Amino acid sequence: MIPAGPGPDAPGPGTPGTGTPGGADPAPITDDLRAFLASATGRDELLHIPPTAALFGAPVGLDSLTGTLLLREIQRRFGVDVAGEDLNLDSLATLGALAAFVAARAGPGSGR
Amino acid sequence: MTAVSTVKCVVWDIDNTLLTGIYLESGDEPPGADPVLAAALAELGARGILHALASKNPPEAAAHTARVTGWRFAAAECGWGNKSDALTRIAATLGIAVDALAFVDDDPYERAEVGSALPGVLVLSPEEAAEAVGWPEFSPPVITAEARRRGEMYAERQRRQEAERAFGGTREEFLESAGTQVTIAAATAADVPRLAELAARTRQFNSAAGRVPATEDGAAGPPGEGMTQDWFQGLLSAPDCDVVTVRLRDAFGDDGMVGGCVITRDAGTWTVPLLMMSCRTMGRGVIDALLAWLTRQATQAGASRLRIPCVPDGRNVPLRLALAAAGFRVPGPPPAVYQRDLGTSRPALPGWVTAPGEPGGGTA
Repeated sequence: MIPAGPGPDAPGPGTPGTGTPGGADPAPITDDLRAFLASATGRDELLHIPPTAALFGAPVGLDSLTGTLLLREIQRRFGVDVAGEDLNLDSLATLGALAAFVAARAGPGSGR
Repeated sequence: MTAVSTVKCVVWDIDNTLLTGIYLESGDEPPGADPVLAAALAELGARGILHALASKNPPEAAAHTARVTGWRFAAAECGWGNKSDALTRIAATLGIAVDALAFVDDDPYERAEVGSALPGVLVLSPEEAAEAVGWPEFSPPVITAEARRRGEMYAERQRRQEAERAFGGTREEFLESAGTQVTIAAATAADVPRLAELAARTRQFNSAAGRVPATEDGAAGPPGEGMTQDWFQGLLSAPDCDVVTVRLRDAFGDDGMVGGCVITRDAGTWTVPLLMMSCRTMGRGVIDALLAWLTRQATQAGASRLRIPCVPDGRNVPLRLALAAAGFRVPGPPPAVYQRDLGTSRPALPGWVTAPGEPGGGTA
């Protein structure tokens, strides 16, 4: 696991996502997603994007290749099939929305 | 019985399979190639089927096998792990589905291991492989110029990926620096065989998931082999219907025709009943360029709606990601029809795209 210490924009407790009825804590998932995006794109500045950062378009520029890798990693680590559960992939709107979507479906303590 | 799916890559064992002996037990003179299987390599390669190696040997065995068979393998996995893991890595390296692989090994244990871990893989003994050249799984319906160059294209792809890893900037900057050229054009009769081949082979970027789109609303018809050359030929002369091709090349190589789409126009609504792209182009901005061009053209023509019906089937997640990235949404319940609001500003088209109706579209 790649250590991705919380940057200045890391979500504090109670950061609003899209609602997390139970499930896992979104904050460490957010860090995991940042670390994966930075390593998949080779762009270290993605380690510091805020939860409000858009995934499609600037600043992340998620495309079909990086998006497929990201969804595969989420399934592997958290057991959440984002594409299977979200036809429109609205959960990929922002980093925070994705973390909240995964957190709501992953069991507590998942992701090791 | 449903349609037989065509094998895209054969993964071969080396010892007592492609070679007539065991590489590490033969001293100074490693064994030569099995003549029957060497002929099968060439015959299948001419049909556009790729070859790869999976062997419990040092990498020198792969180099020796390439030399004595005279074949350039698209991928080689040499090591002492499970062969099913080697096959999974080969599929990922080549950007194809594991189920599109066949596996040939003389060792019944290896065949059982792969067959059990990867039930979608066609598992064969060397004797069966010699026969299999005549099987439908190894007989693509059409063989195009693109198919014959497929092995070389994968080698070009490896060089491109190495260059991209060494490149410092963003993906867009890399595509620009690599001299990427995307050419969108109206299809002609000469393009029909390749269009039918793309319809049969593409899955990750195929909006119809291999089903014939019904003409009216673009909803999917039953699965089958309906997107034939005759079907495309008929569309070329159909009224209010455009068939579009997409070609791709860069400094590393010419991929030829990599994709296409069908557009029907009806009273202000543009519908794309079929959108398809080779998965080899993933990460090269081509599907995004095609979606941006479609949006720009529909807007320019005064259309109010652009619809792309899509059958989400678990395998075309990359297409759904590209649609979402391009601003398409499914507003209603299934069947899924992606739509894009044409009232907003038109998406930008990169300068390396040449297309009808765009500045510079007549040049190149």
